[in-house]
Amino acid sequence: MKNNLAERRAERRWTQADLAAALGVSRQTVISIEREKFDPSLPLAFQIARTFDCRIEDIFIAD
Amino acid sequence: MSKASFTSRWTPVHHYVLAIVLGVILTLAVSVAVGASNPDDFWLAAGIGALCAAYPAMSLGAKVFVSNHTAARDAHGEQSVELQWMRQAGAGAFLDVLVVIVVASLVLAIGRFDMDALPVLLGLVALSATDAGLRYVAIRHRALK
Repeated sequence: MKNNLAERRAERRWTQADLAAALGVSRQTVISIEREKFDPSLPLAFQIARTFDCRIEDIFIAD
Repeated sequence: MSKASFTSRWTPVHHYVLAIVLGVILTLAVSVAVGASNPDDFWLAAGIGALCAAYPAMSLGAKVFVSNHTAARDAHGEQSVELQWMRQAGAGAFLDVLVVIVVASLVLAIGRFDMDALPVLLGLVALSATDAGLRYVAIRHRALK
């Protein structure tokens, strides 16, 4: 699944470790999502959307 | 926005000392127990027991006295990618062990070989642990490269 997580994170000048800490997951998880090698669970997707004050579909785009 | 909550890369020296002390005590305990179970070759058995126990005992010491001060626990670790890697590695290792058991059973049945069960079971334990570990490392490497 495609996503613009890296761009949104960069806009806020957060590191991957910052975002991982905010989401309560490992940094490898953030790296894997940004590289589109890991599709997050629905609860984590909602949490990511809440963190960036937007909807899930604003961040994740189905292939 | 909360910043990354890693506590520290290092912990006071006495924590490392306690970890080593715990590791040594556990290693010696296992070593003496193994040696006592083989009184004819006490020192050889104790040495082998110590070699086998040293790494897990030191790791336990590090987990108890060091890791709690150097690494933060993820609040939602169950949603981390590592869990998926572990599941993939475990599932792959299970299938590998299943294939090995089927092939080995066929060979033993056709060749009518007679073997002790203990070394076979220990071999299966070693195979499954090594297989799962290597698969985890490979999956992690592929995902992060």
